[in-house]
Amino acid sequence: MKRSEPLSESYYYILLCLAKGANHGYGIMQMTQRLSGGDVIIGSGTMYGAVSNMMKKGWIQEILVENPGQERRRLYQLTDDGLAALETEIARLRRMLANAEEV
Amino acid sequence: MAGNRKNSWKLYPAWGYEKELEDLDRASEQGWQLVRGGCFHSSFVKNPNLRYRYQMDFGRIDDMGRYIETFREQGWEYVNSTFNKWHYFRKLYDPALPEEDYEIFTDRESLREMRGRWGRLALAIAVVLAGFAIYYGVQLVQTFQLPLLIQTLVFALESGLLVWGWTIMRNPDRDRSRRYGSAFLTAILAVIVLGAAAGIAFSTLRPHFQAHQSAGSLDEPMVDSRWAGFEIKYRDNYFLDLDFASDAPMTFSVLNEAGQTVYAKTGTGFREENIRLQLPAGQYCLSISCETGYRINCIIQ
Repeated sequence: MKRSEPLSESYYYILLCLAKGANHGYGIMQMTQRLSGGDVIIGSGTMYGAVSNMMKKGWIQEILVENPGQERRRLYQLTDDGLAALETEIARLRRMLANAEEV
Repeated sequence: MAGNRKNSWKLYPAWGYEKELEDLDRASEQGWQLVRGGCFHSSFVKNPNLRYRYQMDFGRIDDMGRYIETFREQGWEYVNSTFNKWHYFRKLYDPALPEEDYEIFTDRESLREMRGRWGRLALAIAVVLAGFAIYYGVQLVQTFQLPLLIQTLVFALESGLLVWGWTIMRNPDRDRSRRYGSAFLTAILAVIVLGAAAGIAFSTLRPHFQAHQSAGSLDEPMVDSRWAGFEIKYRDNYFLDLDFASDAPMTFSVLNEAGQTVYAKTGTGFREENIRLQLPAGQYCLSISCETGYRINCIIQ
């Protein structure tokens, strides 16, 4: 398999937050904060840029959900390519961690 | 109501956007709330009951709806975008919230990406401007002319300014105390504008002068027939395109106010373009002496 570039922390957490299902930007931001114990924060500019780039790569797609009586919600969903990218990153992180334990 | 609106004409370079944000935050603290931001002109309304914090982003936005929504989700209100793709956002200030809540770029990569977007654009424009500076510079070396000197300097200064901005923008960790004030930038831009204006003014001062006489036979010899007077407004190089032919030897000359010859050519024919004449300011005329028929065409520019 082609060696891929490591993901930035923001990209990694965005993909991770979408692994269990579609979510909106704010949901991703909150979940990231919760998972990382408040260490990782994804600001709006970082979020928009990362999501746009990953949509261009085909890792994320946008879905619009109509809720009767409510505002239309914009949700992001992981694609198969996005899931593969996340799995590659997790494998890379596992290997790095295992290497650390060996030394 | 008078006095509740205010315009600011303070000039901010792109690489001084952090300073602009500080100024906006301070203005908000003093009760002036931004309604429209820009790099040359901003407008504010007075509302002492609110306090905002501001942020700016740069770049072409593919999906404005998604963009504004992404910011709104985290409490950012979209203010406006400028013609050159800077976007202004504001968020109500709550002293209880941590400082990170007022950042929109929360990792190095995305901050570098935003600054890099501007940097690449600036560098591309700087290269084009440097190309113009070189183009005029090469001409300047060939023949010294005041408008060429001004144009070369103006393009070189503009290009240098953008390269300087690029070096600041590409390094977000640069010591922020080494920022340069808006007054300094205004002075440089004033030099650029004045230089460009002087260049245009000097070019219009150059005589666009053309004298033309057609072929004809002369029965009487013509001795020092003066025609086509023109004025040179400032000392510079001027170029003469000369084309003449006659049956008998003829003398073509350019005379100054004192009647002294500054250029002369004798013969039965001459054809040359771009004869360089270094002429001081003053009145000049052309003179022809010839025995019989002549044809002449000359242009001085």
